[in-house]
Amino acid sequence: MSDTESTADTVDTANTASTERTVDTAEQSTADGSTTDESTTDGAAGRDIVLEVDDLQKSFGGLVATDHATFEVERGTITGLIGPNGAGKSTIFNLISGFYESDGGTVTVNGTDVTNKEPYEVADEGLIRTFQTPRKLEGMTVREAMLIGPRNQPGESFLTLFTDPETVGAAESANLADAQRILEEFEIDHLATQPATDISGGQMKLVELARAMLAEPEILLLDEPVAGVNPTLRKTLADQIRRLNEQGTTFLLIEHDMEFVMSLADPVVVLNQGSVLMEGQPDEIQTDERVIEAYLGGGA
Amino acid sequence: MSILDDPAGYWNDLTRAEQGVTASIALFGAVLLLGLVTGGLNPTYFLFLVGLAGMYALMSLGLNSQWGFSGLINFSVAAFFGIGAYGAALMTSDSAPILGGFDPLFGLVVALSVAAVMAVLIGVPTLRLRADYLAIASLGLAEVVRLLVLNEREWTNGSGGVRGIPRFFDNWPVLSTFPEAMPGLEIVIVPGRVIELGTPFYQMVLNISLAVIFVAASYLVLRRAHRSPWGRVLRTIRSDEDLARALGKNTYSFKMQSFVLGSVIMALAGVFYAHLNLFVSPGDLNPITTFYVWVAVILGGSGSNRGALFGGVVVVTIREGTRFLNEFAWIPFDTAPLRLLMIGVLIVLVMKFRPQGLLPPQRELIWPGAITGSETKPERHTNQRPGGDSNE
Repeated sequence: MSDTESTADTVDTANTASTERTVDTAEQSTADGSTTDESTTDGAAGRDIVLEVDDLQKSFGGLVATDHATFEVERGTITGLIGPNGAGKSTIFNLISGFYESDGGTVTVNGTDVTNKEPYEVADEGLIRTFQTPRKLEGMTVREAMLIGPRNQPGESFLTLFTDPETVGAAESANLADAQRILEEFEIDHLATQPATDISGGQMKLVELARAMLAEPEILLLDEPVAGVNPTLRKTLADQIRRLNEQGTTFLLIEHDMEFVMSLADPVVVLNQGSVLMEGQPDEIQTDERVIEAYLGGGA
Repeated sequence: MSILDDPAGYWNDLTRAEQGVTASIALFGAVLLLGLVTGGLNPTYFLFLVGLAGMYALMSLGLNSQWGFSGLINFSVAAFFGIGAYGAALMTSDSAPILGGFDPLFGLVVALSVAAVMAVLIGVPTLRLRADYLAIASLGLAEVVRLLVLNEREWTNGSGGVRGIPRFFDNWPVLSTFPEAMPGLEIVIVPGRVIELGTPFYQMVLNISLAVIFVAASYLVLRRAHRSPWGRVLRTIRSDEDLARALGKNTYSFKMQSFVLGSVIMALAGVFYAHLNLFVSPGDLNPITTFYVWVAVILGGSGSNRGALFGGVVVVTIREGTRFLNEFAWIPFDTAPLRLLMIGVLIVLVMKFRPQGLLPPQRELIWPGAITGSETKPERHTNQRPGGDSNE
């Protein structure tokens, strides 16, 4: 038996055993034009799916950035989305969260089709995302920046400011208290009154995560949460993500730091050239030849 | 802290820039007062200048609610001002080519409504796009409105303008006869200098009352809006629109509200101008007005309502003050044509030494009363002060 055959057998066995979907499944469902029967079966078997990405496609001119990508995120998990540079991770994030319009396929959040909806409509379904490089908010303190988080605040209606100021004030007080509580939980309450432009990049990542929690997400998409963050803050971020996950928040995270992903995520989805290469447990991913080859190139 | 309760404490609580601006205003006020009591400055003309300052303050407030709050680049300030002015003129003037003869209050409502509709029409195709598209579209709108007013003679009387605009309070009980009913006064403080307070003066007092009402109403509305969650979303849009969208804010809707609100306030300035000047012409829609208003907002500090007010006053002071410099024989050249140069130099200096403007927002913009407890007050050195009832 050749090395290649051996690797393929291993991957197939692992996928079958874990009943996870592979790119082969996606291609098959696309080829015959049928719906994702396996996903439906999984759902019927009791898996609580928060996010379902089905056959998602996106091209920029001649460049195929997302190529029939299909995967699911189960409620209560921390799902990692990894892949080499240019694999299409950020594009998928943008497609899921409504920042890009897809060329095909569907995105479902909590059973609601949000494909090609505006980002705020996707957020209304409980899917909140962060950004790789958060911009600092000019002229705001950290707690002001936090207060953008809560969704559907009464004070966001211009007319309500004048017709029902008491309700606006009560909601603002409640949101301020929530913001303070979350900042304390994140142990960054000492930053509350600092200008948001004066804190470090790592602290900003923490603030971003804390602010996202004020939006009470069903699922939170984190785009490289520890990129450029020092080891101490990286550990803090990991601890916070783990804590929030234990409290019920579902995460889908992109990260290049393999140690960070593998210590947190389960399962892990591997993207390569816009397609889902494989999906599985961290230890399976780390030993999979195709994943290693995707990261190191064909000559590895 | 109230200035009446503890003037010294109030003064110490101000930033250095605020102290400088306050001192400058006090000095400027003293000079004006000196001019008034010595008869060097005609009180009626002085009130006319105050009216102009109010008009520019309104336009600055309007632009501040667009650019300062949301980052919307609007180069059609003069167009919305013109829509307000011509809307009021065409609705109320007896000599208007169309319509005419309506009550000024009705003219006000119509003018503001037309401005709001125009803002929506220009906003629908541009506000989903990048900010520069709105800038380009608004430049086009400014010229389209000006050329329409100039060339559609059947509707606007073309270059002849619209005359015969009534004063705002002409049909109001008591107020319509107030200027004539007031006794004429001649005051002499400096021998040989008589200060006359007659019907034109009292007429101007009424005009200024209107300006004060318009400016105060606009300022209070914007002040409340700015420190609300609504204003916070706008400020987020200005810094990072994608963040606002990702957090569930319909940024298109917010930008539209901001754009319409600002445009209506600009039109309000136009309505006031029509009833102050009693004549409007296409020259009132010149792009230079837009330039002056941008200068006012940048000078005062983008995002600051009081900065917009201050900037509007400064622009009028430079614009009108340069006329008087020619009175001084020791200045060897005509200063009036240099006013644009002066404003240009001023803006360069502000950009160089104080890019945030002279009176940028100094406080956290959180709904008044929502913050309790001294432990939540921002550090003094951060130059941020707690939200609350005091100035922004």
